[in-house]
Amino acid sequence: MNGTLVVAEHLRGELRELTRELVTAAQQLSGPVTVAVIARDPSVFDVSFQGVDEIVNLPLGQEEFENDVYQTALEALIADRQPQAVLLGFTVNSMGYGPAVAAKLALGFASDVHGLAVEGEAVIATRSFYGGKVDAELEFPAERPVLLLVRPTAFAPAADGGNASATEFTVELPSARARHLEFEEAATGDVDITTADFLLSVGRGIGDKEAIPQFEQLADKLGAVLSVSRPLVDAGWMPNARQVGQSGKTVKPKVYLALGISGAVQHLAGMKTSETIIAVNTDPEAAIFNVAHFGAVADLFDVAAELEKLS
Amino acid sequence: MTPTRSTFAGLSTWEIVFWYFLIAVSTAVFVWGVARLVLKYRRGRGPFSFDRPLTRLRRAAIVVLTHSWIKRRDPVAGAGHFLIFYGFLVLFAGTVILGFQDDFAKPVLGWDFFRNEFYKGYSLFLDVFGAALIAGLAIMAYKRGIQKPFRLRYWRPDRAENEDGRRLYVIGDWAFLGILFFLALTGFLLASIPFTKAVHMLASPASVASRDEQAGKELAPIPADAKPDEVGYGTILDFPARYLVQLDACTKCGKCHAACPATNSGYPLSPRDLILDLREVAEGALGLRHELHVEPLRDPHASILGDPIRPETLWSCMQCMACVEICPVGIEHVPIINQMRRRLVERGEMDATLQQTLESIYETGNSFGEARRKRARWTRELDFDVKDIRKEPAEVLWFVGDYASFDPRNQLVTQTLARVLRHAGVDFGILYDAERNAGCDVRRVGEEGLFNHLREENVAAISNCTFERILTWDPHSFHTLRNEYGAFDVDWDVVHHSQFLLELVADGRLSPKKPLDYRITYHDPCTLGRYNGVYDEPRQLLAAIGTELVEMPRSRDNSFCCGAGGGRIWMTELKRDDSPRPSEQRIDEAVALGGIDHFVVCCPKDVTMYEDAIKTSGHQGEIELRELTELVWESLDLSLPVAAGDRGGEEEHA
Amino acid sequence: MKIVVCVKQVAVLGDEVEFTADARDVDPDYLDFALNEWDSYATEEALRIQEGLGGEGDEVVVVSVGDAQVEVAMRRCLAMGADRAIRVDYSRPADPITVARLLAPVAQRESPDLVFCGVQSSDAVQAATGTALAELLGLPRVAVVTRIEWDPSAGRATVRRELEGGLLDLTEVDTPALLTIQTGINQPRYANLRAIKQAEQKQIEVVSPAEQGEPAYRVRRMFAPPKGEGAQILAGGPADIARRIREIVEERLK
Repeated sequence: MNGTLVVAEHLRGELRELTRELVTAAQQLSGPVTVAVIARDPSVFDVSFQGVDEIVNLPLGQEEFENDVYQTALEALIADRQPQAVLLGFTVNSMGYGPAVAAKLALGFASDVHGLAVEGEAVIATRSFYGGKVDAELEFPAERPVLLLVRPTAFAPAADGGNASATEFTVELPSARARHLEFEEAATGDVDITTADFLLSVGRGIGDKEAIPQFEQLADKLGAVLSVSRPLVDAGWMPNARQVGQSGKTVKPKVYLALGISGAVQHLAGMKTSETIIAVNTDPEAAIFNVAHFGAVADLFDVAAELEKLS
Repeated sequence: MTPTRSTFAGLSTWEIVFWYFLIAVSTAVFVWGVARLVLKYRRGRGPFSFDRPLTRLRRAAIVVLTHSWIKRRDPVAGAGHFLIFYGFLVLFAGTVILGFQDDFAKPVLGWDFFRNEFYKGYSLFLDVFGAALIAGLAIMAYKRGIQKPFRLRYWRPDRAENEDGRRLYVIGDWAFLGILFFLALTGFLLASIPFTKAVHMLASPASVASRDEQAGKELAPIPADAKPDEVGYGTILDFPARYLVQLDACTKCGKCHAACPATNSGYPLSPRDLILDLREVAEGALGLRHELHVEPLRDPHASILGDPIRPETLWSCMQCMACVEICPVGIEHVPIINQMRRRLVERGEMDATLQQTLESIYETGNSFGEARRKRARWTRELDFDVKDIRKEPAEVLWFVGDYASFDPRNQLVTQTLARVLRHAGVDFGILYDAERNAGCDVRRVGEEGLFNHLREENVAAISNCTFERILTWDPHSFHTLRNEYGAFDVDWDVVHHSQFLLELVADGRLSPKKPLDYRITYHDPCTLGRYNGVYDEPRQLLAAIGTELVEMPRSRDNSFCCGAGGGRIWMTELKRDDSPRPSEQRIDEAVALGGIDHFVVCCPKDVTMYEDAIKTSGHQGEIELRELTELVWESLDLSLPVAAGDRGGEEEHA
Repeated sequence: MKIVVCVKQVAVLGDEVEFTADARDVDPDYLDFALNEWDSYATEEALRIQEGLGGEGDEVVVVSVGDAQVEVAMRRCLAMGADRAIRVDYSRPADPITVARLLAPVAQRESPDLVFCGVQSSDAVQAATGTALAELLGLPRVAVVTRIEWDPSAGRATVRRELEGGLLDLTEVDTPALLTIQTGINQPRYANLRAIKQAEQKQIEVVSPAEQGEPAYRVRRMFAPPKGEGAQILAGGPADIARRIREIVEERLK
């Protein structure tokens, strides 16, 4: 078994930043780093980053992701390359085929991995458990490749400037049993939260949809834009356009003030690169405090009332 | 000429015969009407239970004859009704005597007593009571027509502005007065009784007699084998006969409407309108209107939830019992609302916030959704250990309650109470993680199954402990542990801290050293006051520590609910407009007394609601909240540190 | 018509933690348990589909892996309206592939028309069991579904897959299929305690676990994560905190 196979993450013709992060992650392990690009026309994606030793282009007969196709493609690559580790991103597409490959080939497996190391021959991965409140180091079955889905933003993106050359790899691909029909854009809301300098973000802690106007008002007074975490969108209280998180928007404001947000993994993924994160939560172990720059263990309504007074 | 009443003076024979014919018809119509009413009541669910009939009848007789319930909070109206009642009764008796004389005594027995002194006395008596009747009617006409107090206005909070505000009732009221005389003259007064407002003459005493003393305080259980359409009330046929009688007993006096905190704060609920809506359904589905095909007719099997009783009306209720307390005819609005809530819960029709809270309570045993282990976290601030009563016996089992355990402001009170108890040398312990929400509000929300579940868990935990009394400072827990755990055959002596601390003071175990010079007002919590009649002990305790108590206009049984009860604190806001919340109105009421230092409460939900209301009503700085224990602690004047935590300037001085 | 819903009873950790002696797991004393939120959406969706198609003999069957404790979560699904429940008796913590291997024979035996799993569990957040199970069952699959329109007679369903950024991918999938259900797809109904108590009368079938092979990972060590070095605690009461927040905001927005 040799080296690490990284599967490039792309969506609708755009290479995702996550691919660079996967390359960095791969560098924590031993052996050469191979980046596989599975796409209709792999050559449009430039993945020759620093740290990439080899590039494999696997062309498909189709534009969009279909999980049966990608599964067969990856299985063929694994059979051909026999890598020690296969790295995918922890993305919706990869959730659709990564675990299937691991089950089919009886690989080692873990997802939402945010730490990687190698000890001798063994890969050690770190991921969180119990709602992000504790971490754990995992070991994997010996003599088998391990397939990992890596958490976005857990690793720094690899820089340009590598000089790997690309080879082509063709595989006979099946017809998919789950077929893409068309895309529907997320409804654009009244406000684009990705352009705001200051986001006031609220979560389940506000309790009731009746509380939303109060926070809209507070946001106004503070000069912030109101954003929310997923549960408020699930409940129908706010539109998806206001959602910060993996299935909503990724934001990077100057200030992200989170009130009553616990910090579920997919939410953190959407805001953890904000310049300044201030979190208020009554639970001192809330995962949001792991990414916050400033934290206060307090009742969000009390703090909100005081903020209102100061404005 | 001998003074006597010359009946039928100047009427010819056929006219007299016609008169008796009218009386006979009138009586027949009356009998038919009453029979129809009884048949309507019999459509109600279940057997008509009338236990201890003599006690009930005696109590009803006293209540009705002394007007003890009617005259409450409006002695003028009470006097007016007294005059009408006795005027009518005496005139009726007088007519019966005359009839007896004319139709039986004289012709059959040859006994003519209706003359001379008897007649003069009788005549005077009847004149006096006739005048009384007219005076009474005049008082009522003044009330409805000129004074128009809030309770008599037919404006409905549960309908939109432009919907029919019961114009027909208004017309009916005045018509009744006018027609009253006409009917009396024509002898059809008797006939009209079952068909008009006058039906209350029959239904109201019946309602008073059949009233359940524990109405609303101890709710009826749901049989374990009940099917979904047997849980709670969903159609008019689900109502027991007793309640159908109560619906007819309502005289639209509006006292419940005036007392209700929801009605007075812009919520879509008026207890009066709820009862009247149900009455209209009963009439249109089962009653006289149904028989006579007078619109609007209703299908008795149709659901009443939605039309006419809207879910938001039912969910607006704080289950504070102000309506049941004041109703002069004993209507039980609170359990009726509760039964309809049960049906909504059975169908899963509740707002998402409430659903979440109930799921939380099931999962964690508390309404805050906090980890079980966190329940006793408040004890860490104390500089002594609190006994774990699961492991060691203690004299007092202190059942702390959710808000007292988990809410930061209330934790301060709980910690203070722990210090007071320790100082008094009380041997107490708590259940730590084994305590569950006592279930009072869960039951009032209508989730009877979850209530049973919580009860089982609490009983299991408590039964394993050795103790003599159960203490709590949470009136909701106090009420439900004391009154609603009976199904489990437990024989607990449950005491509220206001009572217990008073005992300690009386025993000398607590010695208030420093009489507090505060001018205070005291808010009676609903579950302590109206539900359990505990009004005096907190006041005695406040007197014992030297405070000057100034009563608010609405106190004791007329206390105005903070708005958190009945599970409302777990639900979406239902207020339709910007009227001040019940808690804000209450603070206004206290501040209006002038120069009040402290608003004193002894319930954790009151602490939460009123701390908030003091801020939002704009009176912050004018009045401060104190819980009873906090004042007691202050009066002990011990130089010991108080609880950590910032109270923003309201520092307790040691 | 049969829908199998795989559910998990998840562990909820409060704000304190102690680890077991071997430091491989959290001390169970510190855990509370609940039905996985995603699985309540999955159960609700299965019930809605069953109610919509309204045939005779249609069943919603919930399956779970765990010890007797997990039956509490399963009864919630029964109380919501599921017809039957099957538990694979297994008490060790398990990785998603192992769980899939334990679920597969039971799901297989039921010959379902649809299999639902939640997208992920709130405690482990692997988002893998469903896809792995689909592979073991040989079923077509779609992960992260927010809407389902199923035409049983045509043998296919049109589903909406929710991608990052809220982008929706309309997908056609051959059925029988396995779908992993995302939150927000519906409003799960309330399971009242009466129904839960009545569900206690229902037998939950317990089966022994099949061969699982080697686990996909082993926990070597579990520990409290190092706090982000910058998580400066703002002390004091709400007024102090608010003041500090205002200062920080003013400074950072300059």
